[in-house]
Parts: sequence; structure tokens; C-alpha cells
Amino acid sequence: MGLMTLDVPEASAGYSHYGVLARFETAKALYRACEAVRDAGYSKWDALTPFPVHGLEKAMGLKPSKLPFLVLATGLSGAGLGFALQSWVHIQGYPLIISGKPLFTWPAFVPVTFELGVLGAALGAVLGMFAFNKLPTYHHPLFRSKNFTRVTDDGLFIAIEAWDPKYDDRDTAEFLSGLGAVEVEHVPIDDPADDSDGGGAA
Amino acid sequence: MAQSQDNTQEPVAGRAPLIVGGYDFRSLTEAVAVPVERKTPIGWWFFFLPSLAMLGLFGVSIGWLFWEGTGIWGLNNPVNWGFAIVNFVFWVGIGHAGTLISAILFLFRQKWRTSINRAAEAMTIFAVMCALVFPGIHVGRVWVAYWMFPLPNQMDMWPNFRSPLIWDVFAVSIYGTVSLMFWYVGLIPDLATIRDRAKTRIKQIAYGIFALGWRGSHRNWLHYERAYLMLAGLATPLVLSVHSVVSMDFATAQLPGWHTTIFPPYFVAGAIFSGFAMVMTLMLICRVLFEMEDIITMRHLENMAKIMLLTGCMVGYAYGIEMFIAWYSGNPYEQFAFANRALGPYAWAYWIMVSCNVLTPQLFWFKKMRNHIGWLFISSILINIGMWFERFVIVTSSLHRDFLPANWDYYQATFWDFASLIGSFGLFFTMFCLFARFLPLVATAEVKTVLPEADPHQGEELVRVVPAGAGTEPAPQAAPAGGGGS
Amino acid sequence: MAHGPRIVHLDQLVIRPGSGWARLPLIAGAVGFVFTIVSIVLARSSPESTKQFFHSWLVAVVFFLCIGLGCLFFVLIHHATKAGWGVVVRRLAENLACTVPVLAVLFIPVVALGMYDLFHWTHADAVAHDRLLQVKEPWLNETGFWIRTVIYFVVWSGLALYFRNASRRQDDSGDEALSRRMARFSPVAVAVFAVTLTFAGFDWLMSLEPHWYSTMFGVYFFAGTVVSAFAALTVLTLAFERSGHFRGVVTGEHFHDLGKLLFAFTVFWAYIAFSQFFLIWYANIPEETNWFLSRLHGTDHNPANWRAATMLLAIGHFAVPFFFLMPRTIKRNRTLLLIGALWMLAMHLWDVFWLVMPNLHREMTFSLLDLTSLLGVGGVFLATAGWLLSRGSLVPSRDPRLVESLAFENI
Repeated sequence: MGLMTLDVPEASAGYSHYGVLARFETAKALYRACEAVRDAGYSKWDALTPFPVHGLEKAMGLKPSKLPFLVLATGLSGAGLGFALQSWVHIQGYPLIISGKPLFTWPAFVPVTFELGVLGAALGAVLGMFAFNKLPTYHHPLFRSKNFTRVTDDGLFIAIEAWDPKYDDRDTAEFLSGLGAVEVEHVPIDDPADDSDGGGAA
Repeated sequence: MAQSQDNTQEPVAGRAPLIVGGYDFRSLTEAVAVPVERKTPIGWWFFFLPSLAMLGLFGVSIGWLFWEGTGIWGLNNPVNWGFAIVNFVFWVGIGHAGTLISAILFLFRQKWRTSINRAAEAMTIFAVMCALVFPGIHVGRVWVAYWMFPLPNQMDMWPNFRSPLIWDVFAVSIYGTVSLMFWYVGLIPDLATIRDRAKTRIKQIAYGIFALGWRGSHRNWLHYERAYLMLAGLATPLVLSVHSVVSMDFATAQLPGWHTTIFPPYFVAGAIFSGFAMVMTLMLICRVLFEMEDIITMRHLENMAKIMLLTGCMVGYAYGIEMFIAWYSGNPYEQFAFANRALGPYAWAYWIMVSCNVLTPQLFWFKKMRNHIGWLFISSILINIGMWFERFVIVTSSLHRDFLPANWDYYQATFWDFASLIGSFGLFFTMFCLFARFLPLVATAEVKTVLPEADPHQGEELVRVVPAGAGTEPAPQAAPAGGGGS
Repeated sequence: MAHGPRIVHLDQLVIRPGSGWARLPLIAGAVGFVFTIVSIVLARSSPESTKQFFHSWLVAVVFFLCIGLGCLFFVLIHHATKAGWGVVVRRLAENLACTVPVLAVLFIPVVALGMYDLFHWTHADAVAHDRLLQVKEPWLNETGFWIRTVIYFVVWSGLALYFRNASRRQDDSGDEALSRRMARFSPVAVAVFAVTLTFAGFDWLMSLEPHWYSTMFGVYFFAGTVVSAFAALTVLTLAFERSGHFRGVVTGEHFHDLGKLLFAFTVFWAYIAFSQFFLIWYANIPEETNWFLSRLHGTDHNPANWRAATMLLAIGHFAVPFFFLMPRTIKRNRTLLLIGALWMLAMHLWDVFWLVMPNLHREMTFSLLDLTSLLGVGGVFLATAGWLLSRGSLVPSRDPRLVESLAFENI
């Protein structure tokens, strides 16, 4: 795990801090705060929650995921390749008359074509989701925050990154406090002393 | 533990709570994570060790089969398909409920699914594993089982893609793969929870590797939820196709009793029926063993009972329509096959099937019976017995008296047939015990979304209805939606 | 960004006098009446026309009946599952379902007169020489047929009227017990509905070719029924939005859901249709393949023409809508969704035509009577629906879940 690099954009060069991490008490407060952060014009920031908060992408101003296009493409490829394979096998590869039907009996190819289409689409959905989300990312500066373990329990967070053009060490922290954050902290990018234990979690 | 609140009465306006016991995010995490983290409870061994013993029996029976050949089974000339295919169809069917709960109920926004979908999906995967064993071992020459896959080989042969048995290979293995992916994607946030709570470095790393560094970023949730939705959308037709394909093993044949067009949807309904019975059995045990009666509540059990009633009626409908059309066809072979089913040498099996599958769930018309834990448990077992017999009836009663009376014979299962059936339960329960011990039994992140405080608009009034006759003036003040904003 | 609540005025949710809807019963009724007369006149011109008329009329009545029955199914399922999202469109379905008794009036006398022309098994001389028809006689005889047909219509009309009336009573009283009663009764009603619909499919459509049988046929009939109902419901909801009645009441979320259900049942129909064809094609047993042969081959003179009809059904009822209705943007775009729903209605009409007409024409032919019957029955159907809709609120105005439905958002 220690071999993995930090998931910090190159923009981080020269920054001592990853940014500000603020915890909110309720989903409602988080939602409001996200709307305010969005409207304040921040762009390099994120909301971090133990469960998907319904409609938060609207409050954050995120664009819909592009994943469906990928899934459609991989699904059609799976189905197309499946149909091609079966046709080739029965016309070219191993031509054999079975139950008096022609060599190219497309109805009989439907089940396998369908299954391979689903396989392609499902692989596209899962692997595409991993790729879009850059998973696995075992190291992340946020894991350096002790508070942050609550993100998989009951913690609802907003993190604003230091390289956001509007970021300011003090103002941004105060801005988040003003939105009703109950805890605000600065998260270091990297702590060389910490590196030996990997810090992958906790 | 006494039920702290009855949530089976759905109010006419509004909705009953899905989970009771006053959980908040933190106590919910605690309730699900603690069984994974604490010392193994004694009760768990009572289930695990017998399962392991049955799994051993499975190993022995498979070993003996490989050594001696399929002659150790009770197969005979007209009945050359026996327990292996019956068990295969049975186990594939069991798996279907998991996908129904995780995918179809998700698409229908049945949020009560969140308490049981994790366990049901796990059950699906283990059931598919059990199912895949049977076609794997029954091919006779197991060392060339890879011929079932489209792999170039030294004899330049290819599988026959026009054979339903090859469709099975694809359908069931892809079903297993997709179910596994679906289950794993759902597990990621919960694995991260266990990682973040871990007290030992080993646990932290072990769960951490599989949690993939998940940190709950909403930019990730966005793609995650979309992927989950699409997986649900894909798993739904997939699950229909799988048992349809399985049904085509029979229905594409010309044998009366096998060849009938209603088989695909009828098999799917039966599969969901039996699968729900299995989920019911497992959940009734788990909720007590892991003290989760307030998360897997009476309401969940009642809803499952309703689905069992629905699918049980669908199965009953199919039995009825098959009988009617067999007569209506005017085809003497069809008519004989069905008369023989109900009145012939296998009538005992037929009537076990009808009473377990059609009559048992009828009691679920009554709320009292849907809320009766004892009856739920008994009926779930009876239904699984009935559904196993359904496949047995279809396979043997159709085969044992075919077109030529000189061929007729009676199929009698041997010790090794039963050993492999019981053994497959060993595999299933062993896997399930391991799952229940080491992984979070409930999809915590998903259950959190159904808590009222997870709704960012909680308490806000989104729509106001002005009743007829109240004039056109909107009511003067809309309740402020809870404060500021820009 | 806090918005106040959306305000919905229930007193505006009735058909306004002077709007097109208020004139609909009269106009549609006139069209229906005129074309019914025209159809009858045309039918009397020759024995062939009479035969054609009965078949065309059967297609038209079954097509509209499917819409009504599918809407009844929607209402039943809505109550059985205690659904919330669809309350705003449920009244439309309740009203469409109540066209069934009127369609019974259009069905019974015409089919009674046309028994001999429609159903081969009514020919005594044919039965005398056909062992299979003799075996089936306990089921396929005119007395049984009519007893069953009357039972179907009585059951469906009873259910449709019960659920519409109970729901309308709630508009006045706001009595929550009515919701509870409908929820409790609906599962039983679904069971009764399933059985009657199946046997109606067997009696009216499958027995047109009395030698043929398929256990799946009832499910096939059901699948098409539900597709047409969701298509009709979508069109009607869109029309009420366009006319201003539903503006601000139904939202993109509701259209998204209607579109999803339309898509889902289109795929379900394809699954059932393909499975039925596939199993019969694969096993290749002559007594079953006959039915498909007459739909896959024309005459020697024109062998491809029913096959073209079948291909159109496969492509138009499945392949095209499958890709068209899949993207979420289309389901949320009013114009495109309208196109999709109208297309599915047309395709369902094609499906019914494809089920019935090979019984009459070995080579696919269209007749003027197809059109006049459709306009005749359709006019009466629309007039009835329009009249029913004008009789009260367009939504179940005091349904306890109305607010939930209005505020509903997709996941």
C-alpha cells in the first residue's frame, strides 16, 4: 500500500495543505452548505458522506455521470461479438446441420447474444465506475484526518481544496463555519513522519 | 428481544417506518459492524459445524462420482436426467430472489429491500455456486468439462450454440459474475466502514484492500449510484433470462410435459418463489442470531410473505394453465403426460408439489399468518421442499413414461443422489455462515438512506394542495423551508 | 435557493367548459356513430365484406378493450402495492377502465352475429370431420363461449366501476377507509383479472385457429394489454398537460415513470413474444408451427407478405422502441415521449391485427372496413372516456397520497 501514490492533482505542488475539511451535523445542513459553496464559486471541492445524500449533485452543481454511454457501448460490443462468434462457429468454424435447421439460425443465437451483451454492459458499468472514480486509491490526504473516519459512519463533510482559485486558508474555513459546520480543520497534504505507517486508513 | 414498534400497519397517508428501534446513523453502523468485529458467538458454530460436515459429504460424494462414474446415481434408461439437473435448477432458482430483491425491487423503489438485499445477494452467489457444481460434475468425463466453453482446442471443435445446455453455461456463469459484481459494488462503502473502525492493522489492511480506498466522495457517489442503477437495470432482464434459459433445457424438447410455451415466465416465477422462501428462512435465523430484529423487521418479513403469495399464485396459475391446455390441445400424448403426473406413479411427488407450492402460501392472504414467525418459518421450509419437488416432477414424471410403453421405468434415487443433494446444502450454508460472520450482513450505507434524517429536505413542504372551492388565492404563507439559502 | 412549495389548485383540475375536452364526447361520439353506420353499410355490400367487417370489428374492439383492461390492471396494482407516485394519473386510468362496459356493448352483438364467420369451430360440418374439434367441444361451443364472455365483461365492468366509484366517493368524503378498502380488495381482484384475461385471450383470439394452442398465450395477451394501456395513459396525461389542466401538476418525474413502465412492458412483451415463437420454432412440432407458418408465409403468389408483417411487429414493437425509449432524456422530453407512446399504440394495434387477420386472409390485405371499424369503435371509446372524464375531478383530489404523488421525485 505504501507504494501507491497520493491522489492529489499536480496542482498541489507547492501547497502545504490539502485544504479545509468541515463536518456538518445533518444532511439538511450539508445540503444547504453545498448550495452555498457552489454559489460562492468554488470548483475544487467535494462533499463526503457515509451514504449518497439524495439530490446532492444538484446542490453541488455536478453534471450527470457519463457512465451510461460507456455502458451502452460495452453492452452492444458484447452482444455484437457474441452474435458474430456464434455465426462464425456455425457457418465457418464447425458447420453442422442440427435438427434440420439451416446453418445460420439466428433465433438460436439470441440467448447467448443477450447474455454476452449483459456481461459486456455490466463489466462496463463496474470497471467504468472504478475508472471514473479512480478506484482503487488507497492513499488520500483526507485519510490523515482523525475526524475523517466518521465519513463511513455518521460524518457529513465538505472538503475544499487548497488549489481552488478562491481558496484562502482563513476565509474558507470561516466561510464553512459560517455555513453551520460543527468542526473545521486544515488537512495536511503529506506528513513525511507519517509515511512509514502508510496511513491508508484510520 | 421484543419488537419495539409495530411497523406492519401502513398508514393511508404517509409511510410506516422501514426500520424501528430508534436507530440513528451511528447506532446503525454499530449494530451492523459489531457482529463482524466481536468474538465469534457460540450460536454461529452450531450452524457452521454441521454445514461443514455436510460439505464434507458433498466432497466425498463428488469424489466417489469421479472415481466410479454416474452409475452410482439412480439414472436408468428413460430417466437419464435425475437429481443432478433437479438440484441444478433448484439452486439456480434459489438465487433469483437475491437479484429480485437487489435489482427489481430497487427499480420499483421498494426501499424496504435495503435491510435484506446484502444477505439475499450473498445467497444468490452461493446458490449459483451450488448450481454450477452439478453441470460441472455430471458430464461424465469431467476432465473435458472445458469443452463447454468456446475455446479453441486440438480437435478444432466448437460448442453447439444451438443447444440449450450451452445457453445454460453462458446464462448461469454470467449470472454468477454479474451477481458477484453487483454484490461487491454494494459492499464497497460498508467495507470502508469496517476498515475505518478496525482495531487491528491486519483487519484494517484486509478490509482496506477490498474497500479500494473508498472515502464517500459525492463525486464518486454520483458515478457509483449510476453504476448501481444500471447494474439493477441489467440484472433485471438477466435474471428473467437465466431461468428462462434453464426452462428451455426442457421446453425446446418435444417431450410432453416439457414442451410448453409458458415455461420461461413460469420458471422465473417459481424461482423467485423458492428464493424468497430461502431468504425468509435465512433472515428469520439471522435477525435473531445477530440481534437485528429492529433492522430486519416484521414489515420486511410481511412484505416477503406477500411476494411469496404472489409468486405462489403465479406458479399455481401455470400449473392450472398447463393442465387446461394439455386437455384443450386434444393431443393424447399431452393429455396422458399430465394425467400421469397427477395420477401416475409419481402422483405422490405431484401432490407434495401442489400442496407445498400452491396451498401453503394461500394462508398468506391473512395478515395474521404473514406476521406469525412460526408459520413464516414452517412455510418457507415447506415451499422450498415443494419447489424442489416441482423440478423433480417435471424431470422424472415426464421422462419415465415416454412415447414408447416398452421403455417405461421408475426412477429411484440412490444414497449418492441424496448425498449430493444434502452436500450441496452443506456448501451453501458453509458459505453463508462465513459471509454472515465476516462481512456486514446488512447494507448499512443503503439503510442509512431510508432513515428520515438522511433526507436533505426533511420536513420541508414541497407541494401544497389548495382544495376545491378555496378560491384562487394561494394560501398566504408557504411554510419557510427551514431557513436561509441564497 | 429555498423555494416555497409548489401550489396546486384542485378546483382547476376539472375539464373546463368550452375547452376541447368538453366537446370531445360530442365530436368523438358523432365520428363513432357515423363510422359505425358506414361500417355496417359497407359490411352489407357483399358476403366477403360481411366477413371482413366482423374481423375488422374484432380487431378494433379488442384493441380498445386492451387499453381499458390495461388501465384497470394499473389501478388494481396501484392499490395493491399502495403506490404513491401514480396517484395523479390514477383517475385517468380509472376512467379509461370504465369504457369496458361500453365496449362490451360493441363486442357482444357484433361477435354474436359474426360467430360463424369468425370461428371455424362453430361450423357443425367441420366439427363432424375433425377429431380435435370434437375433443375440444366441451370448451369450444357457442353456449360456453357466451357464458364465459358475459362473465368476463361482468367481472371487468364490476371491478372498473367499483374502483372508479370508490375513488370518486373519496373525492367527496375524503374518507381514508376507502383507500384501505380498495387496497385490501385489489389483490383478490388482480387474481380474478389474471384468470379472466387469460381465458378471454384463449376464447376470442387463440380459438380463431382452433387447432392451435399455447400455454403462453394468456401472458402474451396480457403483455400487449399493459403496453397499450401505459401508452394510452402517457398520451392522455401529455394531452391534459398540453391543454393546461395538468400544468404544474404532473412533472417530468411522472412522465419519466410512465416512460419507464412503457419501456419495461415493451421489453416484457418482447420477452414473452419471442419465447412463445422460439419454443415453437425450435421444437418444430407441426400442430403448433401452423399458427406461425400462416404468419411467416403468405401464398405461393406472394410468399413474403405476412412475413413482412411479422418482421414489422418484431422491429416496430420491440427493436425500435427498445432503443428509442431507453435514454432518460427521451422519457423526460414531452414531444419525444408522445411520439414513443403513439408509436406503441400503433404497434399494439398492429399486434392485434396480426393476431386476428391471418384467420381471414392468407395473404395480408387491408380493407376500408379496417379503417371505418377503427374510427367507429374509437369514436365511441373516446366519447365514453371524454364523458367519464368530464364527470368530476381529473385527479383523486382527496386521496391521502395525492401530495406524495405530486411531490414525487425519481431516484
